[in-house]
Amino acid sequence: MIARQDTTEIRISPTNVAAVMTLLHDDPGFRFLILSDLCGVDTGSAMQVVYHLWSDSTPDWLRVIVDGLPRDDPRAPSVTFLWNGAEWAEREAYDMFGIIFEGNRDLRRIYMPPDYQSFPLRKDFLLADDAARSPGQGVRHMEQTFQPAEYRRTPVLRQALGSDAGQMAPGIQTADLASGEDPAR
Amino acid sequence: MTTEQTIRSLDDPDLFVETPGTIYDAIPPLPPRTEREAEFYAMRDGEMLINLGPQHPSTHGVLRVVLKIDGERVVDLDPVLGYLHRGVEKICENGDWHHAISNCDPLEYIAAMFSEAMPVMVAEKLLDLEVPRRAEYIRVLAWELNRISSHALFVGWLALDLGGLTPILYGFIERDEIVEMLAALTGQRLLFNYLRIGGVNGDLNHDFLSRLGDWMGNALKRIEDQQKLLNSNEIFVARTRGLGVVDRDMARRTLLSGPVLRATGIPYDVRRAHPYSVYPELEFTIPTREEGDSYARYLLHLDEIKQSIHIIDQVLHRMPDGPVMAKVPRLMRIPPGRAYVSIESPRGQYSAYGMSDGSDQPFRLRIHDPSFFNLQAVGLLMPGNLVADTMAIMASVDPIMGGIDK
Repeated sequence: MIARQDTTEIRISPTNVAAVMTLLHDDPGFRFLILSDLCGVDTGSAMQVVYHLWSDSTPDWLRVIVDGLPRDDPRAPSVTFLWNGAEWAEREAYDMFGIIFEGNRDLRRIYMPPDYQSFPLRKDFLLADDAARSPGQGVRHMEQTFQPAEYRRTPVLRQALGSDAGQMAPGIQTADLASGEDPAR
Repeated sequence: MTTEQTIRSLDDPDLFVETPGTIYDAIPPLPPRTEREAEFYAMRDGEMLINLGPQHPSTHGVLRVVLKIDGERVVDLDPVLGYLHRGVEKICENGDWHHAISNCDPLEYIAAMFSEAMPVMVAEKLLDLEVPRRAEYIRVLAWELNRISSHALFVGWLALDLGGLTPILYGFIERDEIVEMLAALTGQRLLFNYLRIGGVNGDLNHDFLSRLGDWMGNALKRIEDQQKLLNSNEIFVARTRGLGVVDRDMARRTLLSGPVLRATGIPYDVRRAHPYSVYPELEFTIPTREEGDSYARYLLHLDEIKQSIHIIDQVLHRMPDGPVMAKVPRLMRIPPGRAYVSIESPRGQYSAYGMSDGSDQPFRLRIHDPSFFNLQAVGLLMPGNLVADTMAIMASVDPIMGGIDK
């Protein structure tokens, strides 16, 4: 059975990211030249940014976890000064978790629309709440019914019984659909 | 939508008239959100913006690219993603680990056998589970077949985006035979849902093996035919050689992987760099090229098809007997922990980072798709090229929007 290759991990605080990453990348003893992956994580109590690095001296990855970003204002330094390909990965982490990478010069949403307000991969994101805030209140435009306005204003009972129903309750004024008159107007 | 506005009259330039605006009026630009966006939308004299996509025959899916052009030259570009975004990572968190397999299938839909392996391999690593050797060999067989079908289509697509209609037909002959073969094995043509935590869904059957035998007989010859069709085609060579050149330093800094990286001369293949499954037991070489251009990428794909045929040949000769599933409970609780797995997909390093909190659902499943990073790097290659060549460059890294948009 092949060894796991991903058991080495270090945890650092966000203030040390630039120094640690530069050391791992440039030091001839480490030579972690390839950034395999960059992702955000929401643990429920704090945010993390997780890097997987690879050096050609070993088949193992090094996992660097930047831990303890506060959930209300998560900020971490960008690593685009070492790998400019990390730009989109950081945009994705910003889009999904709201983590702000200081130094990334193109930190805008990448998947979601530019005017979107929520961060979908956070643990406190509820789809129902989010839909209710969005245009259409969670009902997609193809699912909306297109009835004439008169029908919507008419009580349901009146529609079911037909136009004679008005005679049964003389005190209530109802719409006469045939003539187009609508007392609600 | 009507908005009142004042415009200069066409009859009398000194006269201003009020007209209702129409939906064809330009939407006033939003204030730029970032430094880069401000730089991109600041237009110099003679420059214009055009939209490539979101529905364009050459964009390989629903991708919109805003091109800033000066005449026929591309000055800058701004890819706009998200048209296929489904939130697969969130969906995976809401289902259990078995659901994640079929949810990850449509990510890389041309080679779904690779993207569906991600939750499977993460779970196996967290469970510390040993997969039966026969299942591992069947997986390698399915992966390599899927790689060939994807590469065959790549060659056709590249030529199609350059205006050659014939090679895509040859590519589809190859792909269709393999897809039918995998349908006999898995029951599905496109999204296989074949791998399981601890093995594969079913053993090899007669239908699959007879189709495979027929195909293997003339696979190499067919690849060489395809090679002859394009290698010496003057127009094809003129339009791909020296185009979209990636150098080694750029390849490392932009997180490239797969054939795009190997075309620059870096022999980084996950099958050798981080051995997984039974690849250490199999013999194959990692083809590389030094030029780093579109033509080198095309030649590299053909070389890789040959290596994959070589691997399939070995797998068929060494296929061990035994079960195809490990003994695992139907309802699995994955032990808490973190795991990172990576495999070599046709487009590069496909990897996933999974976290489990001890329940039957993934706590976090991050999918890293190589097309995402390859497409980003392509954006850096475009400036200075002709608009028509953007197609050739984009096709030469073979992006799949299902995986890019997740």
